[in-house]
Amino acid sequence: MRVLMFGWEFPPFQAGGLATATLGLVKGLLNQGIEVTLVVPFSLSAASEVPNLRLVSAADPRPGLRSIRVDSPLAPYAGAEEYRVLAEQGSGGTRGGAVYGADLFAEVERYAAIAERIAREEPHDLIDTHDWITFEAGRRARAVSGKPLVAHIHATEYDRCGGPGDPEIHRREALGMQLADRVVSNSHMLKRQVVERYAIPAGKIDVVHFGIEVPEEVAPLDDVPVTRGRPTVLFLGRVTRQKGPEYFLNVARRVADHVPDVEFILAGTGDLLPGMIERAVELELAERMHFAGAVKGDEVDRLYRAADVCVMPSVSEPLGLVALESLRNGTPCIIPKTAGVAEVLRHAMRVDYWDVDDMADKVIGLLAHPQLWEELSDGGLDEVRDERLGLDQAARRTGQAYAAATRHQTP
Amino acid sequence: MPDICFYFQVHQPYRLRRYRVFDIGTGTTYFDDRANRDILRRVADKCYIPTTRLLSEAIRRSGGRFRIAMSLSGVVLDQLEADAPDALASFQELVATGGVELLGETFHHSLSALRDPEEFRAQVRLHGAALERHFGRRPTVFRNTELIYDDAIAPMVAGLGFSAMLVEGADHVLGWRSPNFVYESASAPGLRLLPRNYRITDDVGFRFSNRDWDGWPLTADRWADWIARAAEPSVHVFMDYETFGEHQWAETGIFDFLERLPAALAARNIACVHPSTLVMRRPAGTLSFPTATSWADVERDTSAWLGNRMQRAAFDRLYRLGAQVKALGDQWRLEAWRRLTTSDHCYYMCTKWFADGDVHKYFNPHASPYDAFVAFMNALTDLERSCAADRPGSPWVVDGEMAVAG
Repeated sequence: MRVLMFGWEFPPFQAGGLATATLGLVKGLLNQGIEVTLVVPFSLSAASEVPNLRLVSAADPRPGLRSIRVDSPLAPYAGAEEYRVLAEQGSGGTRGGAVYGADLFAEVERYAAIAERIAREEPHDLIDTHDWITFEAGRRARAVSGKPLVAHIHATEYDRCGGPGDPEIHRREALGMQLADRVVSNSHMLKRQVVERYAIPAGKIDVVHFGIEVPEEVAPLDDVPVTRGRPTVLFLGRVTRQKGPEYFLNVARRVADHVPDVEFILAGTGDLLPGMIERAVELELAERMHFAGAVKGDEVDRLYRAADVCVMPSVSEPLGLVALESLRNGTPCIIPKTAGVAEVLRHAMRVDYWDVDDMADKVIGLLAHPQLWEELSDGGLDEVRDERLGLDQAARRTGQAYAAATRHQTP
Repeated sequence: MPDICFYFQVHQPYRLRRYRVFDIGTGTTYFDDRANRDILRRVADKCYIPTTRLLSEAIRRSGGRFRIAMSLSGVVLDQLEADAPDALASFQELVATGGVELLGETFHHSLSALRDPEEFRAQVRLHGAALERHFGRRPTVFRNTELIYDDAIAPMVAGLGFSAMLVEGADHVLGWRSPNFVYESASAPGLRLLPRNYRITDDVGFRFSNRDWDGWPLTADRWADWIARAAEPSVHVFMDYETFGEHQWAETGIFDFLERLPAALAARNIACVHPSTLVMRRPAGTLSFPTATSWADVERDTSAWLGNRMQRAAFDRLYRLGAQVKALGDQWRLEAWRRLTTSDHCYYMCTKWFADGDVHKYFNPHASPYDAFVAFMNALTDLERSCAADRPGSPWVVDGEMAVAG
């Protein structure tokens, strides 16, 4: 089987999330013997920042994979509003160097037109899409080839906005999932939401929890000098309402009252970042709250390892790859009860994202008790290595969804 | 025909509340009084009262031929007295039938036998006094917390004047030998050991409501037939009292089973015997337990309480504080410390997720083993600091009455 996938390449300025998930999925599918033609939007200006970034390295060619880069500023998390702001800010925007000239929907349209052309030229047996930005591309590709269509849903507009969000995006999400022969959701929680808010029949949705790649050997990395030798607490993610950075600051204030030498790192960018910096000063945390901004490549793993605890106070977290990435680096993680990963992960402390006292209590507990820390660190590492959370199980189950889509293709 | 020896364990801990780091030094209670009251009430209504009535009736009807042994931990007795006096009265009526032998144990249902012999003896004596006060009885047979036993524990128990002790009939100790005999302790000659027959016990305790089990549905007659098949002298069935109505809900038919059991046994000439009766029998041999054995989980060892680093750290730190708490001479803080020695706190920190995970969830007040550990360590930190500072009169404990008295 050859899959024509409209997905996301490892983005230069983003850690975790959708791009990592698709990357992992593609690797797993190739291991399953499923061939993939991966179509990814690729910003030339971003490419110039990270010249050597490639999905497959030259030293490790993957015969089943063909990768097509489409020059497009589309980014996986762009919402219409955020996009407009970024467009106005131009190259000075928080996304760092990306150039946005046109309206987001126009860009989606342009990408879909290219997708149509690619579908004509590239042989394939099935079309796979990832979140709303690529849904239109999938629809147009199917119009050309008539092959079964799968829609992966990683997060909805509702998750990103903490409310209904942009009606046009909502409409496109609903349409994409309705047209698809099969929908793949990355958690049961997200599936319920898709059923309730988008009226997609539950029987058409498969749940596949995405895993991550865990190297056999942990490669040594440089440490992060600013926190060296001090207890360190990390937030890593987009600094947007969805990820709850303000809760992290409030937790930090509580923890700092009890752990005198503690340091905090807030890594990531987003529309709330300026407000968060001001808030940190207000809370008298300026000297120990370090804003790492956008992090890339090795920096991500260095931060996880520099940290003793990773806190994920997300308001909405359909999956929560940050937790898996943290555990992969041996760093215990505090996750929201409602996160998708909470459905599968045992070695993590669960909280309500709004319960600042509870989160602070757990952070302090982890910093104070090495036995607790070791149980969660060792157990977490074993758990992300377990095949239950591995790439292969995700790929196998995605393969089953592909087979179901082929069987039940809507004429 | 073999004899049958029933023993039922009654226990409820003082569960901790989500005691946070911010609570340290504020003088707030460690224990979730409200949840403990609610759980006790629920268990009293679903299990203690109906089961106790049923057993009292069975003993009376049989003219004393149906008989059982049981023990109630001191912490459950205290809770019953405070919050479910009706249930306590029903236990007193049951004991008054004359068909019940009460066994000794540690008042606080603790693991002290594994760590602190002096504290162990103190808690056993406290428990004896509680039985005297509530039931007018003195126990002669002992059962340690969760049937934990090893060769080092035997001399302590014998030294306290007990003639026999219940132990787990673990395969790794018995080997080819049958649990259906009375044995003698290898390390304390004269102390008899009564091994539990876990297979026949688990038919009722665990498998009773399991529809995938080929023994389902289990009737009293069928189970009595299995007992009757034993060629050895006595079958020892030891289980939680909460089996009736809690572990196995009333809807499973467990009460019907229990009600029909005395007649089913009598029809097969299976006699019920008390542990103190078995003590008089000649032992079939000696048993040595080089490592601690218990009735918990598939491992039948102490890993349910002390299997991971968190559990061992909490346990070590708790017992290190013991001497200091006692030196203060403050009964309230000593009682708070002793309530922390209750084994359930360590049980809630267990991370053996798979085979036995469900059992560990029974009335577990914590969302995860990690939450259990954090709450326990926070409470312990508070107690340590209060001991170090010797702040007197703080309401460390527990129910309102004690707090006021302190």
